[in-house]
Amino acid sequence: MTDYLEVKNLSKSFDSFQLHNITFTLPKGYIMGLIGPNGSGKTTTIKLILNMLKRNSGEIKIMGLDNIIDEQKAKAELGVVFDTNYFSDDWKITQVEKSISVFYPNWNTERFAEMLRKFHIATNKKVKELSKGMQMKLMLACAFSYDAKLLILDEPTSGLDPVSRDELLQILSEYIEDGEHSVLFSTHITGDLERAADYITYISYGELFFSGSKDDFVDMFRIVKGGTNELSADLKGKAVGVRTFPTGFEALVKTEDVAAFSTLDIEPATIDEIVVFTSKRGEDYE
Amino acid sequence: MSNMLKATKLDFSLVRPYFKVIGFTMLLPIAFAAINRSILTGVSFAMCFIAMTTGYTFSITEKNSMERLYGILPVKKSEMVIGRYLFVLALGALALVVSLITQPIVLRVIGETVEKVDIISAAIGGLFLFALYTVFQIPGYYKFGSIKGRVFMYIPVAGFLATLFLLPKIPMDNSIITTLSNSPVLLIVLVIVLVVVMYAVSILFSIRIMKNKEM
Repeated sequence: MTDYLEVKNLSKSFDSFQLHNITFTLPKGYIMGLIGPNGSGKTTTIKLILNMLKRNSGEIKIMGLDNIIDEQKAKAELGVVFDTNYFSDDWKITQVEKSISVFYPNWNTERFAEMLRKFHIATNKKVKELSKGMQMKLMLACAFSYDAKLLILDEPTSGLDPVSRDELLQILSEYIEDGEHSVLFSTHITGDLERAADYITYISYGELFFSGSKDDFVDMFRIVKGGTNELSADLKGKAVGVRTFPTGFEALVKTEDVAAFSTLDIEPATIDEIVVFTSKRGEDYE
Repeated sequence: MSNMLKATKLDFSLVRPYFKVIGFTMLLPIAFAAINRSILTGVSFAMCFIAMTTGYTFSITEKNSMERLYGILPVKKSEMVIGRYLFVLALGALALVVSLITQPIVLRVIGETVEKVDIISAAIGGLFLFALYTVFQIPGYYKFGSIKGRVFMYIPVAGFLATLFLLPKIPMDNSIITTLSNSPVLLIVLVIVLVVVMYAVSILFSIRIMKNKEM
């Protein structure tokens, strides 16, 4: 099996929001960043994958297993980390293991102890005594202890300091090293993805904007910069988004259109810039 | 271990920090038994009090946003629900056993005679009351959460009071009442069957609520 996660034509309607026709595939051995501005549908997508929300249509397969029909088997292969801890605050770390390990037949106590040592988590502490970063590492330690093949992280870096974020990205890189594990990683801190992700799925306003390799994503656009009088109607028409300043402008332009503006400054676009410009839906802003 | 028992074990872990409170809740009704000089009253209070602790698992789950943990564990929602009922029943059974052991001792110490028939009556009455309190409460908690769900606990109380109000109006020569009072075994069997049916319906409701619930 080469794909650990397949999402096809996934749709979900709420009163005030619609996730529409989302399709992407995460191959074995890679990290995929699920990106988009707040409220774009990242968490909804993850909750649909976990069958915590009911989909209206579409298909989801986790390691070839249907996420509803084979829910239990599929979840046995999944490790999940949310932005906040999901254990009881009053549990000691030893209690976390006692409570969770029974659900996973291949739980490895030695591995759990090894992970706690690696992450510097003291076993005599209560969950509520751990920092946010440590709580996230505890969730990871659990997932690693039953050798979860697919790790799903929902905004794990939000609220973490730069050191903890760096550590997390290092852990994820080590996790996929053997080529047998994959990671789906939702975030709006796109700087994390520049370093860690192999693939990007970008959801904007509930619609799929892009899903593919990170390099292809970044290569799709260029940033064109110039003075105030250099912002032509042609450029405005072709730009995905324009940001104007008192001294000039920046525009996100599709790479295929950029040749016409070769007299201006052209730079590679960052993921952050692509997300910011495309989220404005082509509106100019200052 | 079946998934239902694993879920029961998880609930046991959740309320572990509250064991002292639960222990106190189990022992407090001894005082009511002593004051009223009645094991039936003591056991009724014990089962009512312990039924109130049913909400602990729900409030701890809510407080810690643990519905997300339940959402990722490789267990069916129905197994989680049945696991919780098993936990509640285990707690109820423990409270009943503790009451049936401690209260007769205390009553004898203060000079009351407690016959075997009193203990059996208290056990059956306590079982029925506990079932009555919890079968409404648990689906209420699943549907409305730990705070709003508590309202459902008072449904059986209202029912109980209504029954007390209506009881004097029922003629005592009613054939059903006569049959039941002449045959205690039939009464016991009837109560047990009723309790089983109430729990079965309650579990089905709770499973349905959970299956339709989005987390």
